[in-house]
Amino acid sequence: MAFHLRPDAPELPDFSMLKRLARDQLIYLLEQLPGKKDLFIEADLMSPLDRIASVSILKQHEVDKLYKVEINKPVLSSSEQLCFLVRPRIKNMRYIAHLVNTDKLAGRTRKYKVIFSPQKFYACEMVLEEEGIYGDVSCDEWAFSLLPLDVDLLSMELPEFFRDYFLEGDQRWINTVAQALHLLSTLYGSFPNCYGIGRCAKMSYELWRTLEEEEEGETKSRRPEIGHIFFLDRDMDFVTALCSQVVYEGLVDDTFRIKCGSVDFGPEVTSSDKSLKVLLNAEDKVFSEIRNEHFSNVFGFLSQKARNLQAQYDRRRGMDIKQMKNFVSQELKGLKQEHRLLSLHIGACESIMKKKTKQDFQELIKTEHGLLEGFSLRESTSYIEEHIDRQVSPIESLRLMCLLSITENGLIPKDYRSLKTQYLQSYGPEHLLTFSNLRRAGLLTEQAPGDTLTAMESKVSKLVTDKAAGKITDAFSSLAKRSNFRAISKKLNLDYKAELTLAQRQPFAL
Amino acid sequence: MDCYTANWNPLGDSAFYRKYELYSMDWDLKEELRDCLVAAAPYGGPIALLRHPWRKEKAASVRPVLEIYSAAGVSLASLLWKSGPVVSLGWSAEEELLCVQEDGAVLVFGLHGDFRRHFSMGNEVLQNRVLDARIFHTEFGSGVAILTGAHRFTLSANVGDLKLRRLPEVPGLQSAPSCWTALCQDRAAHILLAVGPDLYLVDQAACSAVTPPGLTPGVSSFLQMAVSFTYRHLALFTDTGHIWMGTASLKEKLCEFNCNIRAPPKQMVWCSRPRSKERAVVVAWEKRLMVVGDAPESIQFVLDEDSYLVPELDGVRIFSRSTHEFLHEVPVASEEIFKIASMAPGALLLEGQKEYEESQKADEYLREIQELGQLTQAVQQCIEAAGHEHRPDMQKSLLRAASFGKCFLDRFPPDSFVRMCQDLRVLNAVRDYHIGIPLTYSQYKQLTIQVLLDRLVLRRLYPLAIQICEYLRLPEVQGVSRILAHWACYKVQQKDVSDEDVARAINQKLGDTPGVSYSDIAARAYGCGRTELAIKLLEYEPRSGEQVPLLLKMKRSKLALSKAIESGDTDLVFTVLLHLKNELNRGDFFMTLRNQPMALSLYRQFCKHQELETLKDLYNQDDNHQELGSFHVRASYAAEERIEGRVAALQTAADAFYKAKNEFAAKATEDQMRLLRLQRRLEDELGGQFLDLSLHDTVTTLILGGHNKRAEQLARDFRIPDKRLWWLKLTALAALEDWEELEKFSKSKKSPIGYLPFVDICMKQHNKYEAKKYASRVGPEQKVKALLLVGDVAQAADVAIEHRNEAELSLVLSHCTGATDGATADKIQRARAQALKK
Repeated sequence: MAFHLRPDAPELPDFSMLKRLARDQLIYLLEQLPGKKDLFIEADLMSPLDRIASVSILKQHEVDKLYKVEINKPVLSSSEQLCFLVRPRIKNMRYIAHLVNTDKLAGRTRKYKVIFSPQKFYACEMVLEEEGIYGDVSCDEWAFSLLPLDVDLLSMELPEFFRDYFLEGDQRWINTVAQALHLLSTLYGSFPNCYGIGRCAKMSYELWRTLEEEEEGETKSRRPEIGHIFFLDRDMDFVTALCSQVVYEGLVDDTFRIKCGSVDFGPEVTSSDKSLKVLLNAEDKVFSEIRNEHFSNVFGFLSQKARNLQAQYDRRRGMDIKQMKNFVSQELKGLKQEHRLLSLHIGACESIMKKKTKQDFQELIKTEHGLLEGFSLRESTSYIEEHIDRQVSPIESLRLMCLLSITENGLIPKDYRSLKTQYLQSYGPEHLLTFSNLRRAGLLTEQAPGDTLTAMESKVSKLVTDKAAGKITDAFSSLAKRSNFRAISKKLNLDYKAELTLAQRQPFAL
Repeated sequence: MDCYTANWNPLGDSAFYRKYELYSMDWDLKEELRDCLVAAAPYGGPIALLRHPWRKEKAASVRPVLEIYSAAGVSLASLLWKSGPVVSLGWSAEEELLCVQEDGAVLVFGLHGDFRRHFSMGNEVLQNRVLDARIFHTEFGSGVAILTGAHRFTLSANVGDLKLRRLPEVPGLQSAPSCWTALCQDRAAHILLAVGPDLYLVDQAACSAVTPPGLTPGVSSFLQMAVSFTYRHLALFTDTGHIWMGTASLKEKLCEFNCNIRAPPKQMVWCSRPRSKERAVVVAWEKRLMVVGDAPESIQFVLDEDSYLVPELDGVRIFSRSTHEFLHEVPVASEEIFKIASMAPGALLLEGQKEYEESQKADEYLREIQELGQLTQAVQQCIEAAGHEHRPDMQKSLLRAASFGKCFLDRFPPDSFVRMCQDLRVLNAVRDYHIGIPLTYSQYKQLTIQVLLDRLVLRRLYPLAIQICEYLRLPEVQGVSRILAHWACYKVQQKDVSDEDVARAINQKLGDTPGVSYSDIAARAYGCGRTELAIKLLEYEPRSGEQVPLLLKMKRSKLALSKAIESGDTDLVFTVLLHLKNELNRGDFFMTLRNQPMALSLYRQFCKHQELETLKDLYNQDDNHQELGSFHVRASYAAEERIEGRVAALQTAADAFYKAKNEFAAKATEDQMRLLRLQRRLEDELGGQFLDLSLHDTVTTLILGGHNKRAEQLARDFRIPDKRLWWLKLTALAALEDWEELEKFSKSKKSPIGYLPFVDICMKQHNKYEAKKYASRVGPEQKVKALLLVGDVAQAADVAIEHRNEAELSLVLSHCTGATDGATADKIQRARAQALKK
């Protein structure tokens, strides 16, 4: 994310095109239902929608009122035309069906339109049919699959992907991924080099290739704007996601939750009585400088910045009228803006500090470090145990347990049982299901007897030599299985430079 | 050149009609045409003959023969008629032969005599029998009009989309009308019929009497009527020997001609060309053919043989046993060029070009045209005239002339010339004797190349069709691919070739030609009952999405499932799943799913939201006790309200977990049951909210409520580990600020969690006094931290120095702030220095 660009780096593709495309498509769909209409939006589409089309744009296209889709809440809309913007989920279909059927019972006829984003599923139509309203609603797709969050960051904003694929083994979204890739390649030229690791990466790649082949010959001869593309399955690297955040951006996310690239700073940050929605991207000059800094450096940096700012302000002393005029008309606005941002980020830092010092952040980091490096295992385990016993935070405890499981290639049976018991006692037995799910996703597992670390390690190193010998497919499928973190990180040296050279030397023939 | 116009016959002052031979007929007719039912399709279409019509008294045992010939008389099909008596034959616009039987059934045959389908014209027709029938063409397709024995009309304007309409009764109609015809006006089909001296127009709603304006009086009966190809004009032949011509709306009279023949003509058809002012009808008797127009004289031909007339867009085809001729009005361009002593620019150009090959006179001709500034017109005329010539040598000489003239023009757009050359090549190819489609240029333009290709395909002339496509450089998808696909569809019907050979042959020809849909071909194969072949063909289909629906149709659902999974399209998989679900019984369905993990997970997801019971069955079927257990646990939270129900659900879950050999989960579930019951009891006895609290929270709540005894009991019952209990009590008591009890508790035995947490929690409650009490009891390794927590930096420093622990020293140092701890800081620095010296 927003690494400082090297001077010789090529210019980034213009990703705002994606935004315009999505907006135009949405407007087209809205215009399909001419006249005034009320728009019902599913909660987790709200933030993405906000980035695409403002309320005023929606109003321009005759959207009268906006509602949030809230299951089990009565619908107050009195409009004659209702438009639903939803994810293709069965519960949404039931919601719409209930609404339509209620209207039917009341003898009311309205027009209903369902817009599925990013695509519709047959299962959804099935439900509509089973509920007997298939003929009453019209269905459309808003193929909005990529949202540019920053100049160099696109997101599919598809939170259910993880659960559906890695937990339930449901591959329905892979098609969506392939479509998104297809969109990228049509807009920015086909990708000349593809690398990947993981099963889902492979499937996405293959589906995308099929899509490309079907249209072969139509769009060619474009200079590719995207040179390399890497596919990584999340389950190849759970560790990164499980570790505590230490850079500024990560901690902001930890504390305030960054949603679709923007964050809600509460009153304690803004030092006023209102909370403020702030867009965090490369345009925020202060943020872009500190986002990737280790948190311990951030304070120093910010205070330095504050001093500089003060100095800039101070310059106006001893200016003559002309200089002053210049200053006010040209620089002051920028300075003020910077001032505002600076105070926001300082406020955010304070909040983060307050929260992190409340728990023993130091201890936590130490334990994580121990887990990653593989030393003082016993202490780490008892730290986690204490963490659970003290009911510090249910989610943090789980996070640590998963980290332990992944770095150790599964918990030893004794720990596996005792930690789970402790956890159930602390947070309630319903978490039995949580554990069963975590196990299925491979996040929290029990060590199989004989599957010790060294055995795994030798297997992986053999696998890597095999790869050198050219048995790439073998390597691929074994790697795709649950991998041992330590062995893999040793071999791949989870460092992006090293991985890059590896990839160049030995392109994964997907 | 004068001999060229030898077959031109003038009609009136302005028009010439010419008749030329298309083919000498190849057929070997045993019967006279007059003994057969005859139907010839327009646009140079095929001819159908049904010998031995039933009206002739012949031995009933002899079955009639239905024969189909191309326009050149090449036999296309011959089959014994096994069905009932036929009243009328006719060709539809798609070149399908419609045979109207006496009982009102209409049998539809293909060009090659293949039976396609049949339909009935309704009960009323069945009861009253068919007296007469006409097949006519409308803008929607082809229609059938029937006159029943009850003298009522029934018609359908489009046999493709059969809608029968029974027309209203004609008043006073006691016998069959002397003549009748179907008319199409204003997008609706009407019937015009003549009864004695009266004419009636019957439409959907009513029957109205009409009179042709300006008809010579004295008519007592109409013997024949004819509607033009475009339904715009009508001709009536009266028993007075007059031919009345007018518009079909009967509002306007064009002309009337007295031919002085009172015998009813055998046939009467219109002969006019589009956009020409001349109107003429051709009337045929046994031995005589007459062209009648708006002129005092008519053109007369003698018919040597029994002939049959086929109206065309721009003329009339006349065929007999031995020949097939075309009679039409000479087009303007040809007339101008070839008319004797014509000075039209085209004529001069043609002459000039001829001279060019022999003498310098060519220059004179050219000069003459150029002086009049008519060279462009001359070239155009030659090109146009070439189009209307039947003989390739004439076409060539006209085109040569055009090409010659073109050289002297600066900017003559070449496309009209090029296009004409191409069109003529195509036309000459299809006019060939073996192909036998005698299309004229106007007909070809009206028909369009697409339809012509379709007709070639219909005649199974695939190579020619492909050559035409390639020659005209039609886009592959519209042209070659489409024809190849048709060829393949025909190929799969060859029953005597093995499946493998057919599949291979098709794949060799078609390869990966874009636009060819293997699934369509497979569908056709399946339609012919060749399922195995269809499956083989589907293998070549690159798009799995296309394979699946057909596989489903062929009841190869399992194969469809694996194809759908291969495609990676989950929607497709889901479609197949639902299909399978209805098709198979539950057990089989689940067994199928079992081998397809991807489909299974998809279906599970669906069930989770829509059919919970099915989900349970699925787990049961798989003996997946682990998931079954989880299912019941979930149910105990989501579905059950009453405590008994929840416990029961948990009990089922526990049993399932035992079966899954997951002792841990089973135990945990049992504990939860106990806890639930206990919480219920607590609520009853103590009041307050206990249900759904975790064990930890339950105990905490008890302590906070002052029920220490109960809390301890619970801790024992559920074997809460000491460490947890200490943390729990510590937190709870501190929250209550019950310092006395806390102290008592701390002394009850040695703390398993040390005493640092005591210090920590007291400080968090801002009770430094209490904190200090515990600080003294903290073990040596945490002493420094404890002292720092209570704020005793100096003592912390002492301890750290004593420990000689570098980490502790720096920790203390970092707590030294400003002036107050200056001395301590110094002390530490000294100690450090000392440590270093050593």
